[in-house]
Amino acid sequence: MKQYLIQKLISLLPVLFGVSLLAFVLGVITPGNPAELALSQGGYEPTPEQITEMEEQMGLDAPYPVQYLRWVGRALTGDLGTSYSTRNPVGEELARRIPVTLKLAACSITLTIILGIALGCTAAAWQGRLPDRIVGALTNTQLSLPAFWLALLLILLFAETLGWLPTSGNGGPRYMIMPALVLSSASTATAARLTRSALLEEFGKQYCTAAMARGISRWRLVLKNALPNAIVPVTAMLGNSLGGMLGGSIIVESIFALPGIGSYALSAVTNRDYPALQGYVLLTGLIYVLITLLVDTVSMLLNPKVRLGGKRI
Amino acid sequence: MKDVRKRILALLLALAFVLGMAGCGSQSAEDTTENDTTVAETADEESTASEETADAVDPDAEIVLAGYRNLAPGEKDGYYCSKILYVWEPLVTQDDTGAPVPCLAESWEMSEDGKQWTFYLRQGVKFHDGSDFNADTVIANFDRMKMGVKSSSFYPLDIDSHYPNLENYEKVDDYTIRLTFSQPAPTQLYNMVNFGSAIYSPNCFDENGDFNGICIGTGPFRITENVLDEYVLLERFDEYWGETAKAKNIRVRVIPDADTRFSALKSGEIMGVIDLNAIPTSLAVELEGDGNFALTTTKSTMIRFLCLNGTQFPFNDVRMRQAVSLALQRSVITEDIYDGFGTPTTNILNYSTPFYKEFPVEEDMEKAKELAAEVLGDERVTVTYLYNGSEAAQKGEAELIASWLSEIGIDCELMPMEMTNMKEQMKTGDYGIARMQQGLSNSEPATIFRRFMLTSGDLNQNYSLGYQSDEVDALMAEAESALDMDVRTECYNRIQEISTQEFPVVPLFNDMTLMAYNTKLTGYEAKLYGIELPLVGWAE
Repeated sequence: MKQYLIQKLISLLPVLFGVSLLAFVLGVITPGNPAELALSQGGYEPTPEQITEMEEQMGLDAPYPVQYLRWVGRALTGDLGTSYSTRNPVGEELARRIPVTLKLAACSITLTIILGIALGCTAAAWQGRLPDRIVGALTNTQLSLPAFWLALLLILLFAETLGWLPTSGNGGPRYMIMPALVLSSASTATAARLTRSALLEEFGKQYCTAAMARGISRWRLVLKNALPNAIVPVTAMLGNSLGGMLGGSIIVESIFALPGIGSYALSAVTNRDYPALQGYVLLTGLIYVLITLLVDTVSMLLNPKVRLGGKRI
Repeated sequence: MKDVRKRILALLLALAFVLGMAGCGSQSAEDTTENDTTVAETADEESTASEETADAVDPDAEIVLAGYRNLAPGEKDGYYCSKILYVWEPLVTQDDTGAPVPCLAESWEMSEDGKQWTFYLRQGVKFHDGSDFNADTVIANFDRMKMGVKSSSFYPLDIDSHYPNLENYEKVDDYTIRLTFSQPAPTQLYNMVNFGSAIYSPNCFDENGDFNGICIGTGPFRITENVLDEYVLLERFDEYWGETAKAKNIRVRVIPDADTRFSALKSGEIMGVIDLNAIPTSLAVELEGDGNFALTTTKSTMIRFLCLNGTQFPFNDVRMRQAVSLALQRSVITEDIYDGFGTPTTNILNYSTPFYKEFPVEEDMEKAKELAAEVLGDERVTVTYLYNGSEAAQKGEAELIASWLSEIGIDCELMPMEMTNMKEQMKTGDYGIARMQQGLSNSEPATIFRRFMLTSGDLNQNYSLGYQSDEVDALMAEAESALDMDVRTECYNRIQEISTQEFPVVPLFNDMTLMAYNTKLTGYEAKLYGIELPLVGWAE
């Protein structure tokens, strides 16, 4: 067990290196002189002397590998540089905003788990019948609707027309309903489909046939017998979704005016704020890696096959 | 048996839904911070407020407005918040025509040689913290500016750009200050308008001249709470020296997405939209004819134009630039693409400054063809046309323009680009036509002329305009040394005339600032810079 986790942790190091390299290269390959960009925010035209001075100050005269090492060194101590546009330290800004994104992701993953599994069970229990078809149609729609469009439709219906929910903003539970629904829409559909097919696969196994032969009700079979076995692939998928939600809420956050890290990334792109963008890439990369680790651990706990590395008992 | 199953299923699904909602709820409840509760509470207040307005108007109910960005970016910003929040005030502000008028400085005079300006300060003015406004506080603000350029999301706080050639600033008496310049500075007032002479209480600066908390100004509103990226709360300052504001409390929210802002306005969640890009013209058109909402427009300081690469054939020939201008049907662009929210122009100077001179917009395809034929002969020429890919309207506009230019023998290869890349490409001179825009930072037009029309002008060079005119160079030199305002105005008039004949760039139209509001409000009127917030209140 311990050995397994250590192995996993070591295998994550090259990934983290890759992510940091990518984030650094992002700043290097983008057009425009960072020193000039840092100085010329807000329409100010810096003089060449000011630019040279800034270049030295920012350490841009050093070769790239040196710059990279310095950057990583600073990043390890939590110093992700200073945002060009707001002058605030990027680390501070991300720390201020991450709770909003976490809140949104937590709501979305809760919705995904509950709705996704419930829909999947319903579809499997009534395979080929009306509920199954309804779930099929619903998940198809969810998967094919782009998030930004769904968001606008929901705002139009629930906020503008019916006035039940606030259009946007950060606040209590009412403010989270629409953003979470939108962000979880596609993953709910995937979870439902995966649950359904995993359950159907279990139904074909002998223990299920035997249970059915003994006259166990279908629901009991689904919830008590088949679901615990079918849940393992779903957990892995949910983990990936959570990573996606934490890093992919850019559109949802900006439409619903939620000041999380996603809307920060978007404004960083518009302002060509590279330190901010690098910080975002690094942070989301790190989160993704950590979640993968978490998912692996959870599926190991859930599934003895993984835990024992395929060894037969 | 089947029925029971169905019922259980229905129950389960209902339960799942409730749990889902509750899951969200409990999660957010855990994360709820102090700020969140304020939002939730005010949301309730809002609804009660709007219910009340149906019967009797509560003049003190909070008014909620929204803009796309932080209007109060906070401590790290050189100004803390925008002028349009009316929290801080300048020494000199501007009237509707863009001419300087008194604010915290009651009057002023210039010495005969134009090198000294004396400002007489308003008496009896209090800062939000109760301290007095006087010459010492103004000097403290100059000391702060002297510490170096402070960046801002509005305009850089730079003493060299607001007070060029400033040699010395001093207190004469408690309510008089004197500025001394090394060169005659007859148009200094224009440089000082609004952002050029913002005054804060020295109590809100730290030793580096940065803000140590919420800024303290003298304006009709003070900031009581500022939650970055969410909202800023304004409260009426009852000891204001002038007429106090109508509204007691104003909340300005940040809603970055234009569609969401529009929905929030329609649903009554917010009462008005402010700041730049308040509402896209396509959505504004939807509000026309709806009695619950109204639009307000004013001149914007932004001008849109085409840059022509004057360092290369064919646009190094002035006739070709004239031909392009004559071939354009600007009113078609403003009417069909920008829904009428734009004013066609051929003048390089934006129409919001009092120095602006109106020239007829000449459009004549036949004449354009003749001029182009003189340059091109029987040949056709292909040029690249760069435009900003992130502005959707520019594509249609480029196609229209390309169709007109094809009639005079210019074939355009349209290329959507990202702004910084586009500027880099323009710098190398590898382009034919590029669509750009320029804002006017203050009403003094010299900056624009200098940047675009002087041989050494930075934009003339960076955009590869290749424009050179000895007459303009001479006129600019004359204007700079002229103490007499009339002489200066005459120089500026002539330069504008030259710009409409020689086209250092080919202007398309002047923008309009467009804002929308709920008709439950009164006094919501677009001004040159924002709205006059103190006049905004609930309608009877």
